[in-house]
Amino acid sequence: MEKALTVQPKPLIEWQPIYSMWKREILRFFSMRARVFSFIVSPFTWLVFLGIPLSRMMPAGQFHLGMPFFAFIVPGVLGMGLLFGGMNSGVTVLWDKEFGFLKEVMVAPVRRISLIMGRSLGALTVNLLQALITLAVALVAGIWLGFSLNSVGGFLLALVFILLTFFAAVGFGLTLGALIEETEGYMTIVRVIEMPLFFLSGGLLPVSALKGIPILFQVQFLNPLTYGVDGIRGAFSGVYLISFPVDIAVVAACAAVFLTLGAYAFSKMEVG
Amino acid sequence: MENVIEVEGLTKMFGNFAAVDHISFTVCKGETFGLLGPNGAGKSTTIKMLTTLLHPTAGSARICGHDVVGERDAVRGCISIVFQDRSIDWELTGKQNLVLHAAMYNMGGREKERRMNEVLDLLELQDKKNVRLVHMPQAVRRRFEVARGFMTSPDVLFLDEPTIGFDIRARMDLWKQIRKAKETEHSTVLLTTHYIEEADFLCDRVAIIDRAKIIAIGTPEELKAVVGQNLLSVQIADGERERGRFMKEATSIGWVHKATEYGNSILLTVESGEGRVSALADFADGHGFSITALDERKPSLEDVFIHFTGESIREAEGSSDMKAKRSMRKAGR
Repeated sequence: MEKALTVQPKPLIEWQPIYSMWKREILRFFSMRARVFSFIVSPFTWLVFLGIPLSRMMPAGQFHLGMPFFAFIVPGVLGMGLLFGGMNSGVTVLWDKEFGFLKEVMVAPVRRISLIMGRSLGALTVNLLQALITLAVALVAGIWLGFSLNSVGGFLLALVFILLTFFAAVGFGLTLGALIEETEGYMTIVRVIEMPLFFLSGGLLPVSALKGIPILFQVQFLNPLTYGVDGIRGAFSGVYLISFPVDIAVVAACAAVFLTLGAYAFSKMEVG
Repeated sequence: MENVIEVEGLTKMFGNFAAVDHISFTVCKGETFGLLGPNGAGKSTTIKMLTTLLHPTAGSARICGHDVVGERDAVRGCISIVFQDRSIDWELTGKQNLVLHAAMYNMGGREKERRMNEVLDLLELQDKKNVRLVHMPQAVRRRFEVARGFMTSPDVLFLDEPTIGFDIRARMDLWKQIRKAKETEHSTVLLTTHYIEEADFLCDRVAIIDRAKIIAIGTPEELKAVVGQNLLSVQIADGERERGRFMKEATSIGWVHKATEYGNSILLTVESGEGRVSALADFADGHGFSITALDERKPSLEDVFIHFTGESIREAEGSSDMKAKRSMRKAGR
């Protein structure tokens, strides 16, 4: 052999593969105009077509933690985008498996965890963009409907919650994807669980609206998204339904656990 | 010659079904080695084991001296593979896919550009590199996959059914490009195929594989020589009844080495010489057979396959493929 075959120890963080997987995610996203369009429009759908009419029906009050309804649902819409976007990354991994791309990458001398990291960071970038668009729309409509940012600190804190909530959703999606191993099955399951997860998160309706209804009321507190939404809302308004330390602890723990589980399940997934 | 691939008793069981059954072979540096056999014979399973995607049940395989089980990363560092099924991102352009691939192998900026241009030239893809692959025909996507395979200058390139589903023109083009790329790159190539002509055109040596076992290995010429110098393909009237008797009596002729039945024809392996066709026609007349078709030709690898298995590759696909698929499903894959 002319080439000396020295096997280099793998670096702890494989920057180039991670970066290239990130870039692939971005390229894929922007390569389809329809996707970009629907992505930008969807925050409008919820905020403008649902948020505005509903906020005219519902006066501010104790029911919405004392804030105008519109200001109340902005964090909910953000949380929904993160949940759906994060769960979606589970299906993209399965697509890659189905379309053989994963196989190609698997024979490369790269750790699987680097692939997940690159992909997740790519999805994060795209979803962060959507969150910012949502926020921009909300701020404009908020001039009339009573939503504004109190402080830069609040905005940054909200970003932290957005990040953690997203990673929890990605980890959950990856775990589920690696367990189900099949696109159609995954889509079916996700469709069944993502809407209830959203409706029972205090995003659209206050958690207290279900007070007195057994099980449903309690389930809300088992739902990690409840803490993510409450955290984002608290960061914006200063009013927490639960409390800041609990919110951040639960969301961070969920992100850590689900990402670890997801990475583990993904690395065990058969590709052949 | 230095052995780049060494396979010893390699076996893969799916439940009770042996997908690959104790196969052994070696491939020298710079050689193009083909696994020729019907679908379901175990070719892809073999490739998956050699490329570290599947664990062998028994036996061993070494690529460039590295064990495919114990030294997976080292093996991955010196191989590339072009899969039978799609394995390229259609949402991206060909060039974007190549860049992505380079990153997976930590290829740096200038080297990446240089290699990319080289393989794009070799596979004649320069004018197509910036189009998203969804808009490209299958043959072009496959060429990008082959280009990608060569890009990292692998010691061994695996090609799993490289031209499956191609029309003849596209197949010929890709064969020539693979050959040229291989010569320029000095890679060792292991390819699987169920196309006789592909093995004949591309391979220095061929292993014929059927029902999980290798039944013959050699250069295409050596393998054809096993069959004999010449072949006569004969069809006779009332074949159902008469075939057995014809075969028996024909083998009594001095220059007939062997008679094999396949389909509704009889294949006679004969010593080369003048006037075999008319001699056989006379023989048939004399023994009360009436010949309906008679054809003399040089043996092909297809004949080699028939020689060893008693059926053509297409027939073998019909039978063993179904069986293999069924038992694989039973074994829960």
